[in-house]
Amino acid sequence: MRRAWRIAAALLAGAVLLAGCGSGGSGSAGGGSEAQGGQGAQGSNVAVYAVTTEPMIFWDPSDGFSNEIIAMNNMYETLLRYDPSTNSFIKVLATDYKSSPDALTWTFTLRKGVKFHTGKTMTSADVKASFERTIQHGKGAAYILDPIQSIDTPDDSTVVFHLKYPAPMDLIVSSPYAAYVFDTDVLKKNGDDWFNQHHEAGTGPYMLKSWKENDALVLEKFPDYWGGWKTNQFDTVIIKPVEETSTKMQMLQAGQADVVDQLPYEQLQALQNDPNVEIVKTNSWQNLLAFFNTKKKPLDDVRVRQALSYAFPYQSVIDDVMHGMATQARGPVPAGLWGHDDNLFQYQEDLEKAKQLLDQAGVKPGLKLTLTYTSGDENERRVAELWKAELAKLGITLDIQAMPWDPQWQLAKATDPQKRQDILMMYWWPDYANPYSFLFNMFHSEQTVNFNLAYYSNPDFDKLIDDANRISATDRSQAEAKYAQAQEILVRDAPAVFIYDQSYVRPIRKSFGGYVDNPAYPNVVFFYNTYRK
Amino acid sequence: MAAYIARRLLLGLVVIWGLTVVTFAIARVAPGDPAARWVGPHATAEQIAQARVELGLDKPLYVQYARYLGQLLHGDLGVSIRTHQPVAADIRTFLPASLELTVAGMALAVILGIPLGVAAAARSGRWLDHLTRLTSIGGVSMPTFWLAMILQLVFFKQLHLLPLSGRIDTMTPLLHPVQPITGSFLLDGLLEGNWPVFKDALAHLILPAVTLAAYPLGLIVRMLRSSMIETLGEDYVRAARAAGFKERVVVYRYALKNAIAPTLTVMALTFAYSLTGTFLIESVFDWPGLGNYAAEAVITNDYPAIMGVTIVVAVMYVALNLLVDVVQALLDPRIRTGVAS
Repeated sequence: MRRAWRIAAALLAGAVLLAGCGSGGSGSAGGGSEAQGGQGAQGSNVAVYAVTTEPMIFWDPSDGFSNEIIAMNNMYETLLRYDPSTNSFIKVLATDYKSSPDALTWTFTLRKGVKFHTGKTMTSADVKASFERTIQHGKGAAYILDPIQSIDTPDDSTVVFHLKYPAPMDLIVSSPYAAYVFDTDVLKKNGDDWFNQHHEAGTGPYMLKSWKENDALVLEKFPDYWGGWKTNQFDTVIIKPVEETSTKMQMLQAGQADVVDQLPYEQLQALQNDPNVEIVKTNSWQNLLAFFNTKKKPLDDVRVRQALSYAFPYQSVIDDVMHGMATQARGPVPAGLWGHDDNLFQYQEDLEKAKQLLDQAGVKPGLKLTLTYTSGDENERRVAELWKAELAKLGITLDIQAMPWDPQWQLAKATDPQKRQDILMMYWWPDYANPYSFLFNMFHSEQTVNFNLAYYSNPDFDKLIDDANRISATDRSQAEAKYAQAQEILVRDAPAVFIYDQSYVRPIRKSFGGYVDNPAYPNVVFFYNTYRK
Repeated sequence: MAAYIARRLLLGLVVIWGLTVVTFAIARVAPGDPAARWVGPHATAEQIAQARVELGLDKPLYVQYARYLGQLLHGDLGVSIRTHQPVAADIRTFLPASLELTVAGMALAVILGIPLGVAAAARSGRWLDHLTRLTSIGGVSMPTFWLAMILQLVFFKQLHLLPLSGRIDTMTPLLHPVQPITGSFLLDGLLEGNWPVFKDALAHLILPAVTLAAYPLGLIVRMLRSSMIETLGEDYVRAARAAGFKERVVVYRYALKNAIAPTLTVMALTFAYSLTGTFLIESVFDWPGLGNYAAEAVITNDYPAIMGVTIVVAVMYVALNLLVDVVQALLDPRIRTGVAS
């Protein structure tokens, strides 16, 4: 018996020894982080970005339409980059461009001496081949290239786009999706599927070093980058998926991450007192909407939809759910994006008015409505709960149903409108800096239901936004006027509650310099612009 | 014995085949459109329709199943709807991480649990027994994610002893390249004599392994204690003691052999369960394992991934159960001869 006890003791000692050995080994990890606390993640030359989900879904620059834009925008480049803060374009692979007066011909002059990571020098033929391949693939956001009829290359550094109809090519070529320029020659050698085997062939400042699924994507600087390099820029960039928010927060505090894509409010509060952490807040172009099923009684009556819009607790949602990290939406086009109208009518909570409208529409207390939201989204859930409480005061019961997005969307697309939900909550963000993305996708009449989940159909509205889109390339102020008119119709018809425009709130290390959030490129950190302070 | 194993193997195959039918049916009947997930957010209706044809989802369900089974027989698990990677490659990436964690956690639980359970039984009612009861009940009832976070707070934040999360520091394999042999950083580091990788991987493994071990450790101690107490009260033990055998021989050689059978079964089941059941631990420690992958697959209705993980885990269950049954048959001749006790 004594022996047994002695064996147990020996094993315990062994375990302690093992732990001791481990702690010795972690000298570089744990202890190192402490030493680097003031400096930033890993070392001065490495930047770490902790993101919530897998950073690489699509590898093909033609097809990408997901989280990979963070990495893609560091490995690949576009002809132009849009800067919404100044409403202007940053010249990237193009140094100059002009449009014909009818906006049907767009001529881009290319930057000289740009090298691909493959070693080849970029010419107009590569630009043409890249766009043609993306169009031919027809995947992801390739539909934004629909206006392109043909592409000419009069010389090595000139690309001419001929369009089928007028379109804002300057905005289109600066899209974070479907507008990358890449070396197509490597595909001739290695096959069209080469990118999907985890390769890249861009011109960007960083190139792929290694990737492990659900682990880390490591990028290293491209020595021949056309922009050149300064000593305090990062040699290595690590983009790491970290799901757990407390882990993300601790990484940031310990200096093992320089920037984090998002954290819940409680943790942001806790970080506010950390002397090494700074919180950067920017308006995003992502907004939250609640769509009414306009094909189902009683929501087919505009008065009922208006009443429900008046019965929405806007202020309490901003204050209590979003803790000020959002602003009440004014129509479907978010603030900061051109086409947003500062004078557009905005519903405010007014239960009296709501009651009157419901009376007029003949809606009696006892009405039951079903609302679906995407399960796991705490913000959506809390918004729905607050709304439910307000509606209860009007005698309306809101039945809140959490569903994963796929079934939620599936239900919304059910063939019989009566079988669909009454109200659906969803976010939208644009494929490129264009209000048409919001207005067309969510509210233009649809043959087959896709994202117009209010099933809204108004020919006047359709015509206004289609016209605005057509002239937006040549006469943007006229286009804005038409978009404003269209949004007035929309707000009056109230096919949805325009809840809030979300803010991006990014905690970053103070030693991480040069970081600016650009809402046209959601969640993207352009690491070339950042440096170690 | 060979006939016994062959019979069990055949039965295992039938179980796995049945599981593919049920899982396929459930995954494909559940609402959600894999084609829409495949093309990514904000896709047009045409793109989704095209993807449906591309993925063969426009065919009747039984055709889809037959096609899947055909692929499966060729060792092809299909392509994940969510990650766009071949499911086999995904599993090859995540399984070693899960095995590493599960083996380490279970080893810890077994190495500590067996002597503790035996000791507690041998000294039932004494302070050691009370202490183990307290810790094992704690281990079984403590929520794993809570334990994980407490360990992180203590060992990372306060003591700076162990790393926060991940399998290895991202920079370590870049600075000290390691050739994947087994897929486990710990083993590969050891096999290649790559000490920085080995040490870093070990440091990263400790907290998740301890967290994982807590539950099975408690379970093993409690189960073994009660079956040992029962066994130690048997006549043959008294006879052995009377015959003057050393206490260690009586307890470990005669009593433990008879008392361990139920604990073995539980250990095997816990092991297989832990492969995908550890997603809370994986999530907190950011451990890129199969549990997280399976959870994501279920949430996004990624049916090829769900099928792939189910098959792999089912194979593990069948294999482990077989192993345990063989071990028990070796320990207890009544099982292999089919004579009732």
